[in-house]
Amino acid sequence: MDTLNYIILVPMVYLSFAVFTAGIVFRIVSILRKPALPIPLNVYPQKNPAWLHALIDTFLMPAVFKAKPVMWFFLIVFHACIVLLVIGHIELIRPFAIFQIIEHDVFLGRGFVGVTLFVSLNYFLFRRFSSEARNLSVPEDYFLLILLLFTVILGSELDWARTWFGYGEMGAGEYQGYLTSLLVLKPDISEVTYSGHSFMLVFHVFFANLFLMFFPFSKMMHAIFTIPLNKIRRG
Amino acid sequence: MEDNLREKLLTAFEGKLTKTIEMYLETCARCGICTTSCHVFRSMPRPEYSPAARAEVVRKLYKKYFKLQGKLLPSWGEAKVLDDTALDDLNKAAYSCTGCRRCMIHCPFGIDTQQIMSIAKLMLVVAQAEPEILSMLADVSISKGESIDLIKQGFIDGLKRLEADVVGKWKLEAGQIPIPTEVQGADVLYVALAGAHSIIPAAAVFNAAKENWTLSFFEAVNFGAFVGDPAKTKLIMDRIINEANRLNVKEVCICECGTAFRVLKQMSGKQSFTVSSITQVHARYIREKRITLAKNTFKGIVTYHDPCQIARNGGVMDEPRYILKHLTDHFVDMSKKPEANFCCGGGGGLVALGEDTHEFRMKSAKVKADQVKATHASLLVTACENCHSQLNDLNTYYKMGVEVKFLSSLVADALVRGIENKA
Repeated sequence: MDTLNYIILVPMVYLSFAVFTAGIVFRIVSILRKPALPIPLNVYPQKNPAWLHALIDTFLMPAVFKAKPVMWFFLIVFHACIVLLVIGHIELIRPFAIFQIIEHDVFLGRGFVGVTLFVSLNYFLFRRFSSEARNLSVPEDYFLLILLLFTVILGSELDWARTWFGYGEMGAGEYQGYLTSLLVLKPDISEVTYSGHSFMLVFHVFFANLFLMFFPFSKMMHAIFTIPLNKIRRG
Repeated sequence: MEDNLREKLLTAFEGKLTKTIEMYLETCARCGICTTSCHVFRSMPRPEYSPAARAEVVRKLYKKYFKLQGKLLPSWGEAKVLDDTALDDLNKAAYSCTGCRRCMIHCPFGIDTQQIMSIAKLMLVVAQAEPEILSMLADVSISKGESIDLIKQGFIDGLKRLEADVVGKWKLEAGQIPIPTEVQGADVLYVALAGAHSIIPAAAVFNAAKENWTLSFFEAVNFGAFVGDPAKTKLIMDRIINEANRLNVKEVCICECGTAFRVLKQMSGKQSFTVSSITQVHARYIREKRITLAKNTFKGIVTYHDPCQIARNGGVMDEPRYILKHLTDHFVDMSKKPEANFCCGGGGGLVALGEDTHEFRMKSAKVKADQVKATHASLLVTACENCHSQLNDLNTYYKMGVEVKFLSSLVADALVRGIENKA
C-alpha cells in the first residue's frame, strides 16, 4: 500500500506534469509549424477592436447566453470555479499576496467551490445522456467528465473528511508540506499518508494525474485554442 | 478502398491542415450549441444534420491518421478508418451543408464548419466521388478562360441583342455605349452571370450613374468553390483577376452571386483593384446622388433575404437595407440581426445540382419559408442568383405567395431621371 501511495503521490505526479507541459508545448509547436491559411475567415458585422470582442466571446460567451442560457450559466460557473481551484492549489504551495486581495483562508471556498463544480459537472454529464448532445458524444467526452467528477468529489470532500478525526489531522498545512517537498525535489509524503482519510487524497491526486496526462491529447486543448479561434472569427 | 486511393486522399487531407483548420479540428467540445443554428437541422431534426456531427465525420478521420490519440486509443474519440463507408459519410456531410456559416456565429469557439467541410469536399474530388456536374461546370469555366479569343466575337454579338432592352430601361446620352466591353482604364469592371437578367438591369444603372464601366467576358460564378476544388477555384478566379489587371480597372463589381463575391473579395489577395458587390455599388450611387429612385412603385410589404456569402460572410448588410429604404416604406426584416438570418438552403452548390437535390433543398429550408411567411411580405428581395432560384422553388413548394425579385432589377426599374437629364 505504501508503495502504491508513493507511486501515485510522487513519480506519477512528476510524470503527469511532464506529460502535461511537454504535451501542450508539443501540440502548440506542431500547429505553429503548419502553413497559415491565407484567407480571412471572419464573420460580419465586424466590431472594433476585434481583439476585445474576441476576449469577450471567449470569457463571457454572449452567443451561448442567447442560444442556451442554462448551459451558459453552468459554463460560466464551471470555468470560474476552475480558475478559483487553480488559485487554491497554487496557494497550497505557498500563499501569494496577489490572491489575498480578497482575504480568504487557504484552501479557499470552504468546499463551496467544489460543490458548485460537482453540480456543474453533473449537468454537463447528464445533458450528454439526453438531447442532441448524446448523438455527438464520443467516449472521450464522458471519460473526461467522469475523471473530473471523481477528482472534484474526492478533493472537495477532503476538508469534510477531516471532521471524522476531530478536524485535527491532515489539512492545508500538510498539503503545503507535501507540495513544497515535490517542488524542491525532495519528495516527502509522510505527512499526507498517515491519516484515515489519506486514501481520498491519494485517489484525488491519481485522477488529477490522469486528467493532466490526457489534457494535451484531448479536446481539453480548447483551453488554449479558444482565444486565437475567436480572434479569427472576429477578424 | 485500395491503399493507393487512401494514400492520395490522406495526402489531400494533410494538404488542408493549416494552422487554423488544425485548431478547428482540435477544439470542438461537442457541446452541441451549434445544432439548432443549422437550418437543415431546424427543418429536419436528425442527429447527422448538426454542424458538429458533420464536422465529426472529418474529425474522426483526422484522429485516426493525424493524431496520437487515434493511434493509441482509437475508441477514445471513435477514430474512424478511411474506407468506402467513410467516403459515403463525407459526401452526406459535405452536401447537406450549404456553407452558410450560421453555426459559426453561435459556436463558443468560433469553429468554421464550412472550412472543415472543405476537407470533405476535396477528398470527394480526389476520389472522383464529387457531384460530377459541378466539376463539369467548373471545367467549362476554365476552358472558357483558356480560349477567350475564340468566344469573344460570339459574346459581343450576343450583347448586341440585349442593347435595346438596356436602352429601354435607361435612355442613353450621346456617345454612351449601352454595354461597353474591353474599356481600357475603366473605373468599374462588372462581372455578370451568363444571363440577360444579370446584365440588362446592371447596365441600365451603370449608364444612369454615368459610370465609366466595362463588362467582363467571364461569368462570375465559381463552380470550383462549390465543388471544393482549390485548384479550379483559383483558375476560375484568376480569369477575372487577369482581365481586371489587363484592363487596369480600379474596381471589380461582382453581380448578384454570393460565392463569386466572397471568393474574389477574400481569396484574391492584394490587388490593384477593389472588389465590391453590385449592392454596394448601387448604395454608393444613391448616397452620392448619382441615381435617383422612385419610391413605392410596388404595393405590399417587402422583405429581404440576406445571401449568406454576401451578408454574414461578406459584410454587405446595411447597403441592401439602405437601398430598400429608397424603394419602399414597407420594409420588414426577417430577423432582428441580419447576420442571424437563415440560409435559403440552396448554397454550397445545391442549387446548381438542380433536380437531384430538389427534395432535400425544399425539406431542409422549411425554416426559411416560415421566416418569410412570418413577415407577411408580398415581395421577397434578394441579391444572389442561387438564393433567387432556391427562394423561387421554396415559394412554389411552400405556397409562400410572394414574388421573388433581384434587388438590382428593382433598382433598375425604379430609376428616375433628375431634372437636369430628363429625356
